[in-house]
Amino acid sequence: MLQKQEKVLLLRTFRGRTLRIVREHYLRACVPCHSPLCARPAACSHDGKLLSSDLTHYVIPDWKVVQDYLEIFEFPELKGIIFMQTACQAVQHQRGRRQYNKLRSLLRDARHDCILFANEFQELCYLPRERGEALEKWQTRSIYKAAVWYYHHCGDRVPIVMVTEDAEAIQKYGSETQGVFVISFKDYLDNFWPDLKAAHELCESILQSRRERESESQESHGREYSEHLPLEVLEAGIKSGRYVQGTLNVNKHRAQTEAFVRLQGASSKDSGLTSDILIHGTKARNRAIHGDVVVVELLPKGEWKGRTGALCDNDSEDKTSSEAPSEPMPTGRVVGILQKNWRDYVVTFPSKEEVQSQGRNPQKILVTPWDYRIPKIRISTQQAETLQDFRVIVRIDSWESTSVYPNGHFVCVLGRIGDLEGEIATILVENSISVVPFSEAQLCEMPVNTPEKPWKVSPEEERKRRDLRRTHLVFSIDPKGCEDVDDALSVRTLNNGNLELGVHIADVTHFVALNSYTDVEARTRATTYYLADRRYDMLPSVLSADLCSLLGGVDRYAVSVTWELDKASYEIKKVWYGRTIIRSAYKLFYEAAQELLHGNFGIADEIPEFKNSDEKGRQARLEELAWAIGKLTDIARHVRARRNRCGALELEGVEIRVQLDDKKNIHDLIPKQPLEVHETVAECMILANHWVARKIWESFPHQALLRQHPPPHQEFFAELRECARAKGFCIDTRSNKTLADSLDKAEDPSDPIVNQLLRSMATQAMSNALYFSTGSCTEKEFHHYGLALDKYTHFTSPIRRYSDIVVHRLLMAAISKDKKMEIKENLLSNKDLEELCRHINNRNRAAQHSQKQSTELFQCMYFKDKDPDTEERCISDGVIYSIRTNGVLVFIPRFGIKGAAYLKNKDGLVMCCGPDSRLEWKPGSLQRFQDKITSTTTGGESLTLHLFDHVTVRISVQASRCHADTIGLEIISSKPYRVQSSELSHLSPLVLKSELVRDVTRCAEEAQLAQEGQVDGIREEYQEYRQTKGRSLYVLLEEIRDLALLDVSGDYGI
Amino acid sequence: MAGLELLSDQGYRVDGRRAGELRKIQARMGVFAQADGSAYIEQGNTKALAVVYGPHEIRGSRSRALPDRALVNCQYSSATFSTGERKRRPHGDRKSCEMGLQLRQTFEAAILTQLHPRSQIDIYVQVLQADGGTYAACVNAATLAVLDAGIPMRDFVCACSAGFVDGTALADLSHVEEAAGGPQLALALLPASGQIALLEMDARLHEDHLECVLEAAAQAARDVHTLLDRVVRQHVHEASILLGD
Repeated sequence: MLQKQEKVLLLRTFRGRTLRIVREHYLRACVPCHSPLCARPAACSHDGKLLSSDLTHYVIPDWKVVQDYLEIFEFPELKGIIFMQTACQAVQHQRGRRQYNKLRSLLRDARHDCILFANEFQELCYLPRERGEALEKWQTRSIYKAAVWYYHHCGDRVPIVMVTEDAEAIQKYGSETQGVFVISFKDYLDNFWPDLKAAHELCESILQSRRERESESQESHGREYSEHLPLEVLEAGIKSGRYVQGTLNVNKHRAQTEAFVRLQGASSKDSGLTSDILIHGTKARNRAIHGDVVVVELLPKGEWKGRTGALCDNDSEDKTSSEAPSEPMPTGRVVGILQKNWRDYVVTFPSKEEVQSQGRNPQKILVTPWDYRIPKIRISTQQAETLQDFRVIVRIDSWESTSVYPNGHFVCVLGRIGDLEGEIATILVENSISVVPFSEAQLCEMPVNTPEKPWKVSPEEERKRRDLRRTHLVFSIDPKGCEDVDDALSVRTLNNGNLELGVHIADVTHFVALNSYTDVEARTRATTYYLADRRYDMLPSVLSADLCSLLGGVDRYAVSVTWELDKASYEIKKVWYGRTIIRSAYKLFYEAAQELLHGNFGIADEIPEFKNSDEKGRQARLEELAWAIGKLTDIARHVRARRNRCGALELEGVEIRVQLDDKKNIHDLIPKQPLEVHETVAECMILANHWVARKIWESFPHQALLRQHPPPHQEFFAELRECARAKGFCIDTRSNKTLADSLDKAEDPSDPIVNQLLRSMATQAMSNALYFSTGSCTEKEFHHYGLALDKYTHFTSPIRRYSDIVVHRLLMAAISKDKKMEIKENLLSNKDLEELCRHINNRNRAAQHSQKQSTELFQCMYFKDKDPDTEERCISDGVIYSIRTNGVLVFIPRFGIKGAAYLKNKDGLVMCCGPDSRLEWKPGSLQRFQDKITSTTTGGESLTLHLFDHVTVRISVQASRCHADTIGLEIISSKPYRVQSSELSHLSPLVLKSELVRDVTRCAEEAQLAQEGQVDGIREEYQEYRQTKGRSLYVLLEEIRDLALLDVSGDYGI
Repeated sequence: MAGLELLSDQGYRVDGRRAGELRKIQARMGVFAQADGSAYIEQGNTKALAVVYGPHEIRGSRSRALPDRALVNCQYSSATFSTGERKRRPHGDRKSCEMGLQLRQTFEAAILTQLHPRSQIDIYVQVLQADGGTYAACVNAATLAVLDAGIPMRDFVCACSAGFVDGTALADLSHVEEAAGGPQLALALLPASGQIALLEMDARLHEDHLECVLEAAAQAARDVHTLLDRVVRQHVHEASILLGD
């Protein structure tokens, strides 16, 4: 009774191959026609709904008409509609599930006079598709044939109107069969339903929007985005150079329009592209999300666009479009995504009013991610109202080409908007930092050190390790009150008159075995996270603050590097690496060490080790210690000089100096220069790192973990050179040496901030220092540009960096290799190490970002409660450090804030100078020059701001519901701000910063207190979470050096 | 593109059948002269060839001989060109071995093995084109081949698969329906007695639905039996004409 047919389909597989598939297709004689006029109702066996019997005609829409005008067929006035199966399938395949479901519910609706006729299963209606016939043509042909059959089936009693948009079909079939009319949809409405106003209007608007869509994108078949190409095609395209591969970076300040693709690996060499590729608009971005690895096709040169130079917020999108963009740069569009980088996103639900305006489906809600660079996400939830005031985590599930926004789902709630803990949690999640407390299993692995059961050096270890407890004078220098001492120093004279310098680092790997729970946890954390008011340790505190901390007067395991130096020239004669046992004699702080260096022994009273000792022995011991510090400083000076000769940059140090002191008038409180001891300690650490790097590289040339700092691109220095020229300096950026020299010379005696800003610009132009595995780079690439060393690694802080732990293991393996012993632990292969390096680099970046974001959060919370118009603290002195088309970028030294200040506001008014140098908004125009910006009002007044001008700015907070609050700056006077209060000016910025943190923490705490009324519990919490006040300055130096190498705040509007 | 709709609102499956309808079955017995019995079957686009040798003496190690019944040896293979993408190994892979075991279980239940102690019956099945329901096609082909060889059986063994989509049981799944990933059940039935020779399902299905799926498969197997019976009668008729009865 069934008739078997075979359909041959040519499908494309996911890998891009064509596949010939044969599918069966069964035809039958009786397909229900759902018409009351049916000639053989018994055979047709109607069940379900029938068309009404009092119709003047039946209408059969073409597939195209069903796709485009389905909404019009929803009018109940239109009756006797027969949807052909062919048309329905066309909707299903080409218009997606949503429209198909609409059609289905229409068909199911008993009130609506329409039916589906399964023409493709009717033996007389079915038409096989001919070879080479276009799908559209075949669909029209099938529908026409079915219409004719239907007409005859109903005994030629009811005329049938087939509506189609295909002019050719009208031409061809128009007069083929009597009783079956083929006309266009417009004609149909005009002739049969001239009175149905609403339908005509709808038809118009559909036509309109379709025209718009077509003009927008001719090739995309009604989809929002074009399909991604299959992987095989992409790979072949990359190989042949037709496509380029890179990581997508969305511009934070113009997330809607601008994104850049940073080229990766080989593709950049072949294509000869030097700059990034611009991806303009979301259409060209084609569903890629910030961070994805994408494949890009370059557009022809004629369609290249330039980046916008003006400052803008994300809120005012089209504002800048009228302005002339800069020079065109390579522009492309995304054709495929190789690797999706979807993570958890923190989002905010729209407020009540917005929900209502969003419309029809209350369960589908568009939520706004905290990160500007992430598009809005559509999620379906019933709890939209209850979650309104919370920060919430969502995940993206999919992003179909038919959807404007990605689909996601709700995961969990983080905390209230504006609440300190909630916002901190947001920052952590956004940086993918997970800091759950250490688990039982991890803590069980830890050695015990309690008063009842004190930890002791085991005799077995004593035999294996070199004992330095009696032979060496070991001491540590750290800031006051520091708990985690991971480095100690020693220096002594050998019998042959040479000197022996030693750097002793806490032996963390002794306690943390490879692949133990603690190790795995430390590896995922990769670093200790320092936020503005708290820190999250990489290792449990029993290690970081106790057993691995080289405290004074107790035995500790260490990994030591000692150098034998020539007594006169300080030439390095011999190096020794190994595991040792040390007992630090003194735990000094920087100031004390500095005093001892100057021969001022009065400070000794403040050193606990000297407190209760008799006068005689004390003098001798003090002298011994002072000699050691002096010798150490001497050596460090020497080593530094050697490094400087190779062109080591002093960017970071200066950056710190600025952070520490920029108030010229407070000599007595904060010294202008940091203590020399700081540099001494830092230099010893760099020396140790360098020698360890050499050692592990020699032993394992293909699998050593080193740290590289690639030389910067010259073109990034362009801005720095321009700015320096404006001030009359010449910056030579050809090598690190010339750069360092010319930066030293570019000192404006009247304004130290100029030099500081130039240095920060230079830092910004540089690339980041990165960990890498030696097996995956050539030896030339090992170079550390900033330190001017051929090999460098991190070895000296295993307590707070995982890379150091890896280096420790490598060093231990290298030592056993020298002794021809078997290497116990399995070393990571080059590939695994490379993977690990990528992870650590990634985590470091997250650590820096989170630190910066938390600082910004605190700044904002600090200024939030202050009324910018009245509060004196909100007005401050600022320096212009960059000029943009509609504003300037300002640096506020007092708070360390960088931000944008507009000279032209959203109404098109410009700043101009009023009486008593106050500024006001007036209509006018702006003109931008290389080193200055001039606003001219229509009244003829003008105001010119130069680069490095000091201005008075008002700091306010721009609150934002969905995103982080930002600091807004407004120039209120073109004169420098005079500091009136002498009391304020006495505070150094660092002090101010920590004060700020304390202030905000206290506020948050008080709010909590008021809420809960549990005083004691919170006190404890406060104690627990508060930052340990003194971190070693070396730690700070290192951190800010890293931070300085990646200063993201500077890229306003770039 | 929206996912494939396996069962439309109008009750049609992708290929135009209704829920309980079988694909077109065509079969022929006695396709090879050399073998003791052979058969070829097409179920839709699934095509299988079965060959039977035996009962004969145990080949290879005599220790395998069973004292009280015949040894049924089944081998399944599927041609490299049988699937959309060319296969690497025609036989000997995990799936083939499993299929061979299932066939063996099925036919040990159907053949009256105790009539031929210490002997062996070989059943070789090859799938020429796989378009869903390979197990069923193999069992049906092998049944015809065993009949052709004249080996006494309790009854026909008729097999059919069934699936479950949107609350409806679908009989005789095609490849498209199998690939959609719903539950699938394979049933080998002795139709006269209604005894089950083999029942297999390796997906999750709610207990409440099992009965209706099982019933759909059983009904389909009975339908297959009608068809196979017709084929056998036709074959016997032709053979008797040739013999000049």
